[in-house]
Amino acid sequence: MSKSLLWRLGLVVALAALAAWRLWPPGETINLGLDLQGGIHLLLRVETQDAVRAETDKDMDVLRREAADDGVAGIATRRLTDTTFEATGFAADRLAAVEKVARDWLGGGWDWERTGAGLVFEMEPANERSIRDGAVNQALQTIRNRVDQFGVAEPLIARQGLESERIVVQLPGVDDPERVKRLIKNTAFLEMRLCEYPWVGGGAPSRQAILEHYGGRLPEDVEVYPEDERDPATGKLLGQTFYALEKRRVITGRDLRSANPSRGQLGQPVVAFMLSADGARAFGEATGANVGRGLAIVLDGKVVSAPRINSRITDSGIIEGNFSDQDAQDLVTTLRSGALPAGITYLEDRTVGPSLGHDSIQSGMRAGLYGSLLTVLFMLIVYRLSGINSIIALALNVLLIFGALAYFGATLTLPGIAGIVLTIGMAIDASVLVFERMKEELRAGKAARAAIDAGFSNAMSSIVDANITTLIAALFLFQFGTGPVRGFAVTLSIGIFGTLFCGVFVSRVLFDLLYANRPRAAKISI
Amino acid sequence: MEILRNPNFDFMKYRRFWVTVSVLTILAGLFGIFFLGRLNFGVDFAGGTQLTLKFRDRPDVEALRDLIGRAGIREAVIQTFGSEGSNEFIVRTPIIGGSEEGSAALVLPALNARFNPDLRGTDLNQIGAPTLADLLIPVDPDGVGTERARDHYTGVAESVMAQRKARGLFSSWDQVREAGGLSPAALESLRGSTMLGSFAVLGLENVSPQVGAELRQRGILAVVGALVGMLLYIWVRFELRFGVGATMATLHDVLITLGLYAWFGYEFNLTTVAAFLTLIGYSVNDTVVTFDRVRENLRKSRSVDTLTLLNKSINQTLSRTILTGGTTILVSLVLYLYGGDVIRGFAFVMFVGVIVGTYSSIFIASPFALLWERWFGMGGRFGRAGAAAKPARANR
Repeated sequence: MSKSLLWRLGLVVALAALAAWRLWPPGETINLGLDLQGGIHLLLRVETQDAVRAETDKDMDVLRREAADDGVAGIATRRLTDTTFEATGFAADRLAAVEKVARDWLGGGWDWERTGAGLVFEMEPANERSIRDGAVNQALQTIRNRVDQFGVAEPLIARQGLESERIVVQLPGVDDPERVKRLIKNTAFLEMRLCEYPWVGGGAPSRQAILEHYGGRLPEDVEVYPEDERDPATGKLLGQTFYALEKRRVITGRDLRSANPSRGQLGQPVVAFMLSADGARAFGEATGANVGRGLAIVLDGKVVSAPRINSRITDSGIIEGNFSDQDAQDLVTTLRSGALPAGITYLEDRTVGPSLGHDSIQSGMRAGLYGSLLTVLFMLIVYRLSGINSIIALALNVLLIFGALAYFGATLTLPGIAGIVLTIGMAIDASVLVFERMKEELRAGKAARAAIDAGFSNAMSSIVDANITTLIAALFLFQFGTGPVRGFAVTLSIGIFGTLFCGVFVSRVLFDLLYANRPRAAKISI
Repeated sequence: MEILRNPNFDFMKYRRFWVTVSVLTILAGLFGIFFLGRLNFGVDFAGGTQLTLKFRDRPDVEALRDLIGRAGIREAVIQTFGSEGSNEFIVRTPIIGGSEEGSAALVLPALNARFNPDLRGTDLNQIGAPTLADLLIPVDPDGVGTERARDHYTGVAESVMAQRKARGLFSSWDQVREAGGLSPAALESLRGSTMLGSFAVLGLENVSPQVGAELRQRGILAVVGALVGMLLYIWVRFELRFGVGATMATLHDVLITLGLYAWFGYEFNLTTVAAFLTLIGYSVNDTVVTFDRVRENLRKSRSVDTLTLLNKSINQTLSRTILTGGTTILVSLVLYLYGGDVIRGFAFVMFVGVIVGTYSSIFIASPFALLWERWFGMGGRFGRAGAAAKPARANR
């Protein structure tokens, strides 16, 4: 056996061993795509204008409050758009004073213009961009926290591009998709506010009743919030009651130090919470001064419950509501992870249940098996002993494809399985090209070894050209494809390299092994 | 085994006939797509919602359609899915009123109201392992104590869900009982707190209009990019006329397959684009092999006229074309028959495409290369310079 042949044989065996080693233990080394193992793929948009609007509202409040402290009382502010507002209701000679307040307190994020009635403020574009950017990053972090707490193995949570308002979430193997989607989307903005009307003991039957109480016009510092009444057994919505609450928030979700699921006095699920030091001080003051009054717990703009304050409470309490165990658990998860800075819209949602993936793997594997068997049979009939050569090359090809998938951590998807099955069909092409060429050379009267030489070298350019064109298709597919289709492009590309290596290199080694010591052999079983 | 010994068919003789046949087939396909609206876009490109549902008892499709219609969704497409007797359906609904989050929130409550009218508590067919564990932990039917409860019942819940995964849907409590690690006490507790609904959601896909438009654009870019990329490659490697011939043959394969695909009514989605790109790769591959032989014969003698040259080369590569085409057709047929419903459209494209691709390498690519030569000459100097730059192989 020549030295070069030995060296080439060594390379083939080493590669095969490496692939087999990467694949051990079987069934655990290949990443399955969401379409095969089940799971969720979400593309979501953070509604960053929510955060921008909230910032505008906050700065309007700051301006009004600080101006009042500086002696310009009674400024009226009104938001015009998400990024603009006007301030009116002060005398013309106080204009400079208001501008000074804006300069000192609004953090440089605003431009303003004098108009006849007062000032119109416009958010600076850089400020707006940074608010939007911050909102997406905060949403990303919040979603990560929530998913982590839910215990999903190997989640992918990433911003789609650096500037984008979109986030991609991929959660493989999740079998409770609806619950996880709710959990991610929950804004979970918790606030506690003192009741204005009714003072204590449940809500008013309608908005109208509250308006009548105030004589048709709500006071400046009051807002109305609804509470859903649900049937405790079925969770069906029965109706709504309404509360007039102080605009001022006693505490918000940010003041929580911890939250845990617990049981109330009647054994019903509740959420127990502990407050941070600042939160406890504010809570203690508010509850101490308002014993006997209702304190509304508001979650995402709806009253969850409004219990009576029985005594001064400082650093801990419970949130009651019409919760199931699961509701309580999910509320704890969202409270712990913090509120989302803005709403979320699901732009793309692909949920594959585990049993659908299960079926797909089974049919894909079955098709692969039948396809391989047919190919093997076909090659044996057409090329007899040389067919065995191509079958060994083919088997090695499949082994190398799976080995490479494991090595690169690439994902196997259902179209990817189809890609492998097709590769089996097309890998044969390399062998066919070589064998047909050999036959021609043999017919032309060449001896076996010369025919092998000529067959390989003449078929080479066809094989390379043919595979490169397929590779071009695969590259474009990878560039523009998403999800399972990308997995297909990866498998197809790996398959092309496998085909080139096995169909040309390995197959040649096998022929050389057979005919190395028979320089005068005239016949090939082909 | 010899497929054909020294074949010598005059393929080019009937080239006008075959080109006419192809053009007519393409026109029929395009007619179906553009005038009859046959191309069935899936949610990937059209946007909308697709639900894969499994029912315990076979529902009447018309009743299902009616039910969904009353939920406010007209134009829902309802198809059976999976094997006979699996009671699996696909419900596809278009975008409703520009909504981005789809119609599942409308369809599912309507289905629940109709198929699970007296469902109280939790539906064991619509929850997953974490929720099931959360149900069992506070009750602790196995009496393992609070310390071990989470681990213990998570294990139990996963075993129950693995049982459901194999079936898709629990249709009786006997099936639940078969789950390993589920004690009689735990089963009793589940029977008290949960119910078995009569359908399950196996999969859900929702694509907003905006994302659908983006996916459409990417799909077109991928196909056009791949075609142009291959034309360039062949131009560099061969001569322009061959690049044109190969591209025409490939375009021909894509159009014919697309037309048939539309007539057969398979859903056109992202996977279909992948299938078409693979087909493009295969089709060019097939054509290139013939042209490679033409190039080799050209190097041997420049004097023979192109027509004879093409005929000779096609004949020389004929048995390879038949063998490779044969195996690939066989494999894609297997994929079509056994690959399952999700992959059927993909396999259809490959099956039809490989047949058409094999045909076009013989009857379409070469006539167009010839046509181009007669109209515009041999093609750019670029191609010939490229071919000449390669070291000539020794003539044997």
